[in-house]
Amino acid sequence: MRNFKTTALLLTVPASLVAIGLYAAPILQVLALSLTEPKLGLANYQSLFANAAVGRVVMTTLKVSVMTTVLTVLASYIVAFAIIHMSAGWRRISLFLVLMPFWISVLVRAFSWITILRRRGVLNSTLMDLGIISTPLDLVYNLFGVTIGMVHYMMPFAILLLYANLSDIDRRIMQAARSLGARPATIFWRIWLPLSLPGIALATLFVFVFSLGFLVTPALLGAGKTLMIAEYISVQISSTSRWDLATSLSTMLLLVVGIIVFAAMRSPALRAAFVARPQQ
Amino acid sequence: MRPRRIIEVGLPRLLAWCLLGFLFVPILVVIPVALTDRDYLSLPQDGMSTEHFAALADWGKGWLPSMLTSAGIALACAVIATALGVTFAVGAWAAGGWWPSFMRILLLSPMIVPPIIYAVGMVKLWARLSLLDSYTGVVLVHVVLALPLTVLAIGASLSNLDQRLVQAARSLGARPMTVFGKVILPNIVPGVAAGALLAFVASWDEITVTLFITGRAVVTLPRRIWTSIQDAVDPALAAIATVLLVVTVLALVARALVERRQRQQKF
Repeated sequence: MRNFKTTALLLTVPASLVAIGLYAAPILQVLALSLTEPKLGLANYQSLFANAAVGRVVMTTLKVSVMTTVLTVLASYIVAFAIIHMSAGWRRISLFLVLMPFWISVLVRAFSWITILRRRGVLNSTLMDLGIISTPLDLVYNLFGVTIGMVHYMMPFAILLLYANLSDIDRRIMQAARSLGARPATIFWRIWLPLSLPGIALATLFVFVFSLGFLVTPALLGAGKTLMIAEYISVQISSTSRWDLATSLSTMLLLVVGIIVFAAMRSPALRAAFVARPQQ
Repeated sequence: MRPRRIIEVGLPRLLAWCLLGFLFVPILVVIPVALTDRDYLSLPQDGMSTEHFAALADWGKGWLPSMLTSAGIALACAVIATALGVTFAVGAWAAGGWWPSFMRILLLSPMIVPPIIYAVGMVKLWARLSLLDSYTGVVLVHVVLALPLTVLAIGASLSNLDQRLVQAARSLGARPMTVFGKVILPNIVPGVAAGALLAFVASWDEITVTLFITGRAVVTLPRRIWTSIQDAVDPALAAIATVLLVVTVLALVARALVERRQRQQKF
């Protein structure tokens, strides 16, 4: 009896050592450095809050993350809701169209958007050939381009989460409502929406947390002009070597993400949605 | 009644298809750009050309070495992450208790914690251990980032496994390693395979942390693509994007066909 359990516990050791030594330790070191680099104390955090550039970066990050989250969850809900009402064949095709971008490299997707949106890109040249506009529009390397790229990146995640949640809802409730004379709009607002709130909350949480610390798409589609936290940190470690700024900003980001996830997991509905998520 | 139905049912459905179009149509734009006859990023002007695909196969242009680098790193990462993931998931499943649950949260946290924070930590650690810009350094980081996926995939397989199978084997006198190797492992092969595949893909695609811990010596494919996007001139970029797109679509179609065959066999 004891022997079996000991062997089982021993099996967990190698992965645990990797997680502690190569994940927990380096991240704890970031936290430690933020308090000790260059000297012990909270001075880094004081200068962080006084730094106007950091303030602008935080505002941009919040603006883009909130816009991305609202647009992504709204659009994904419309798609997921339509998919669960489709026939099996159409549903397979739609899910294929969702999974394709899901599995395609984030770099390829950012590159596609640059190709489409830049000044001499596909969209601008088509619009100019058609005579709709006379000078090219600035569609990328700004807030607009970053948000479009991020919504496009986040939508497959959100659709799959919402689809899993919506397919779990008992359809007999809607049949009952219909047999009692409820109209489609009433059924949606009074039954579908309240029952899918846990799924919506989960998707909102995921998209918002991912957006806050996202590097690739904002960096490529913002090109330094729309600067978000992750890219700002990356500049501090790769070109200016400001470890005090990089580590204290990383710690703040980690703290914010931790608080959001912790607060969300305290809500029973959300925990249920998280745990009872069926296999995709 | 009729117009009302169009607004309540037809319009949302039309909107949903437009949004599905928004998801996949923009990605397809790389295909015509890859076939351009110019040597800058543009749509084909006086006919099509496959010269940019030929450039991918040219060793000196660097795309082929990067593909091999990425494939090698992804393979090593998949093997190590799967081995660690299997031992951990099986051990945690059989042992239970606070320690495995706590470690599970730590192992899964790279999925939530922004990778840029991990990158800051790893640059410091690898600089101290002289592992910056080395294959070992990249593989180890990719293993940490792939572990959540293997642990989840194998855990999903284990949750379908009947605990009584283990009890039966033990009551018949099987030794612990026999139970793990000959009773549990053969029953979770699909989860292990899925975990290995996910680990391979995660490593093959990883860019955020790789960007900071590599330099001139180790140039993975995502890293080369990243640099190339910032230059934004070479149509070979569109060609490599097309290749990745086609491979992804083929893999998804293959999976759909396998699932369909399995469904048909069931009936």
